[in-house]
This record gives sequence, C-alpha cells and structure tokens, in this order.
Amino acid sequence: MATIRTRSRTREMLLRLSAYLAILVALILTLFPVYWIAANSFKFDIDIFAVPPEWVPRNPTLKHYDEAFIQRPFLQYALNSFLVAIGTTVISVTFGTMAGYALARFSYPWQWRKQISFWILSTRMMPPIVSIIPLYLFFNYFDMLNTKSALIIAYTAFNLPFATWMMKSYFQDLPVELEEAAVVDGDTRWGAFLHVALPLARPGLAATAIFCLIISWNEFLLSLVITLTEQSQTLPIGIAGRVTQYNTYWGEISAAGFMACVPIVIFAFIVQKHLVRGLSLGAVKG
Amino acid sequence: MLKSDKDTSAKSLRRGGGLEHWAERHLRYLMLAPTVLILLALTIFPSIYMFYAAVHRISPNPDLPWEFVGVGNFARLLSDPQFHVALRNTVVFTLVAVALEFLLGLGLALLLDRFIRRLSFLKTVLMIPMMLPPIAVAITWKLIYEPQFGVLNEIMFLLGLPVQAWAGDVNLAMFSIIVADVWQWTPFVFLLMLAGLASLPVEPYEAAALDGASSWRQFWDLTLPFLKPVIAIALLLRVMDALRLFDLVFILTGGGPADRTKVLSLYIYQVAYRFADPGYAAAISLFVLFVTIVLSTWFMKRMRLAE
Repeated sequence: MATIRTRSRTREMLLRLSAYLAILVALILTLFPVYWIAANSFKFDIDIFAVPPEWVPRNPTLKHYDEAFIQRPFLQYALNSFLVAIGTTVISVTFGTMAGYALARFSYPWQWRKQISFWILSTRMMPPIVSIIPLYLFFNYFDMLNTKSALIIAYTAFNLPFATWMMKSYFQDLPVELEEAAVVDGDTRWGAFLHVALPLARPGLAATAIFCLIISWNEFLLSLVITLTEQSQTLPIGIAGRVTQYNTYWGEISAAGFMACVPIVIFAFIVQKHLVRGLSLGAVKG
Repeated sequence: MLKSDKDTSAKSLRRGGGLEHWAERHLRYLMLAPTVLILLALTIFPSIYMFYAAVHRISPNPDLPWEFVGVGNFARLLSDPQFHVALRNTVVFTLVAVALEFLLGLGLALLLDRFIRRLSFLKTVLMIPMMLPPIAVAITWKLIYEPQFGVLNEIMFLLGLPVQAWAGDVNLAMFSIIVADVWQWTPFVFLLMLAGLASLPVEPYEAAALDGASSWRQFWDLTLPFLKPVIAIALLLRVMDALRLFDLVFILTGGGPADRTKVLSLYIYQVAYRFADPGYAAAISLFVLFVTIVLSTWFMKRMRLAE
C-alpha cells in the first residue's frame, strides 16, 4: 500500500513537472517574437543586423520611434485605424445587438427566424477577397474611395454578422421572465429590452465590442484596396508600405508594429475577464 | 417568443400615441431591419455583381464595353495550372495549420486547466499573438526567418543545426507560413477550449473517478464528447479563416518561391490587379465562395450548430 502511494505521488510530481515545463516552453515561444520586435525597435539599424544577434539592445535608441511617428505619418495612420475601428464597432454592436435580441426573443412567420439567422451567418463566410472588386467599384461610383467612411462601411459588412450571432446567443442565455415581469409592470417591449435585457447582457456586449475592435484594428486586405492616401490609410497598410522592393525598414516597422500591438494588449488585460467569459457564453453555444 | 407579446401591444394601444404604437407593434421587424438592410446592401450587391462580372471579359480600359463570355471564365479554371497550384497550396495550408492549431490549443488548454487554474493572467499572456495585427506578425516572422541576420538561423547555429533560407526556400516556405499562422492562431483555439473546459459539469467526473476510470478514459469518454460543440465552432472558424489567408503570404513570401506559397486569395488579388483581369478574378472568387459555403453548411448541419 505504502509503496503504491509513494509511486503514484512520484508519478503525479513528474506529471506536474512536465506540465509546468510544457507551459513554460509555450510561454517562451509565445512571447519571444513579441519581445524580439520590441527589442529591435530600440536598436540602431546596424545592431538589428548584428551577427550574432544582440539579444538585449546594447545602445537603446528612440530613433525609429522618431522616424515612424514624427518624420513619417504613423500617428495619422494610427488615428485613422482608431476612428475606423471605433466607428465600425459602434455601428456593428448597436445594430447587431438589436437584431440579436429580435432573433432570440421574437417569433416570425414562415420559419423566418431560422432562415434569417443562417443567412446572416453565411454572409460572414464570404472571404473578403470575394467582395473586394464590387466594393471597390461601389465606393468608386459614390466617390468614396480613400475615405474612412468607406472603410467603416466595408468593415461593418464583416463585423455585423458576427455581432448579431454573439448577441443572439447571449440573449438566448438570459431568462426571459425578467423582461416579461417588466412588461407586466407596464413597460413596453422596447423598454424591457432597453432597461432589463441590455444591462444584463453587458458582459456579452463587452466581449462583442472587443472582438469587433480587434478585427477592425487589424484588418489589412480591404484597406489595402480601398485606401491609397495618407489621410485614409490605416496602420497595417502604413506598416506594410515600409516593406518595399528595394529596402525593408526593419527598425521603423518594428517601432510601428510594436506600437500597434500595445493598445490592443493593454486593452485585453483590462477586459480579460470579459474575454474568456464572453466566448464561453457567446460563440461556444452557437 | 415572449408570452406577453400580445398584451404589450394592447397596453401601448391603450396608452395611445400613433407612431409609437405602430413602432411597438412592429418591433420584431424594426429591430431586425437595420442589420438585414445593411447586409443586403453590402453582400447581395457584391454577389450579383460578381456573377455578372464572372461571365464577362473585362478590359482594363474602363471605356471599353464588357464582352460576354458565358461560362468561359469558369472553363479557364479547369486548365489554369496556376489556379491548380493555388488550390493545392490552400488545401495543404488549411489542413496542416488547422490540425496543428487544434492539437496544440487543446493540449495547452488541458494543461492549464488541470495544473494552473488560478493564474488567469497567464491565459491572457498566452493569448497575445491572436490580438496582434496580422501584418505585424508577418513582419516579425519575416525578421525572424531572415537568412543572413535572422534570429532563427542564429538559434539553429547555436544548436549545431543546418542554417536554412526558411521563407525563401522552395521546400520550407509553406512550412514557414504555417509556423507563423500556428503561432498567431493557436491562442484562439486555446481560448475557446479553455472556455469549454470551464463549463464542464463536475458530477460525471466524480462518478468516473469512483468507478476507477483512468484520466485517459475520462478524457476520451467525458471531456471530448462534452467539448464537441466548442471543437466544432473552433474548427469551423479556423477553416473559414485559413481559406482566406492573405496577409502572411503577401508580406512573408509574396506567393513565392516558385509559387510554393501562392494561395487562392493571393492569386485572386494578382489576377485582379496585376494581370488586370477582374472577370476571371470574379470567377475564381465565386469558386472560393461556393466551396466555403458548401463546406461550412455541410459541417454546421453535421454538427447541428445552427439551432
């Protein structure tokens, strides 16, 4: 008996140890590339190309931050990204929440609910590359190329279905009785949605908004095609523009790339609870 | 449906207010309308336009009329070697990348769930890659893979392994793309699995432990079946995204070397803009759209995901 217990305890210890080791390896692999881009952003060009590599910047410099944000319009790009991401998120979450609520709570004639739900999801399946040419011509026709509004409209097409589905599954998880009670107490249906359901769905709203923000902040392909001017281009395009046929401006790219990650990561840490909860309730239950 | 739907209308009727009453009575349609209208405008129009463009030969000169070619553009697909290469690359990339992301994401979630439940900030740290702009990810990996001064070759050298051209090597380019994609998107699978594991019921495990079931058996007979819906969602979303891979290839290899990493999205982009042949690009796009919708519909039906 005693020997068995010792053996299983040793086994448990070994198991635990190898698990920690595996997690440690995963952490290193996850963080190293991020560290590397940060480290390079603080090195002089000559040190970026050093062989063997400089694991820690020896002569740290802010030169590339100056290049990217003072001499080149990366601040403008970041501002564009920010405005487009906020605009898209507000529109997608507002309308997506309303539609999600309607699909979760109301009944429609002729099986419409199921058909519409599925159709909305299927619009998300369309690869962006498919709709690019028509959207390009569409914006060209309305003289909207190189505008932030065009980007907001285009991104909404991809975020709205997602927001609708997330919010629909949230509302389905909420007990309907509370809204019924509000209606019995004299509130309208719209009032019950606004005063009862919406506050309860706040974690879902937060998670949905975070995902819309991340997706729009990071989008590349649509922005690449729709915008060509400094006043309208987003950060990803600005960064990609520094990989040219003749030269790749590693330092500047690292500085801009690192700065593009920072707001999202800070944001993610602030809302990390909602992030995990949001997905566990929303996407998972379909 | 709310049981008191009808009562509500009756109440607001009593309260009066013409427009308000009308809005309240048609709330179910009004709440849905903005989303349906926006999506109709932004997806139906492109779809119709794509069909229209796909049956025409479109000259780069906007003053020339479109020439109707019927199924000509689709017939070209059959005998276009570049298209076949792009299709094969996309399939290889999707299968390998999604499989790796799934295995690693699930494994990592199981480890964290079992061994370090409390350190929730670790979870957020592990999720950082999926929040980064894919373009920044692509450039980071370009720097890591760089043959002369890249850090990966330095590590290979330190370990006494052969130095490679990575993204520039005919045989390793696709592998390099896959590694970067796995780095960025394993966290997404990990997050979904973690959420799924957090909602597992406790009782079946207690019963299984009493019966003396090994942890391996518990995993196969309890955990996996419970996780099935989450796994299905994760696979569906990852496959849909893998099929439209663009940023990584665009920056890391540009489709080369020797077309080894030319995927469908990149090929469509090239046909439309570099070869200025939007009609043919529309035909390829429709093919991709068709395959994506058929695959996902089949998968969702099979997994009973849509209600």
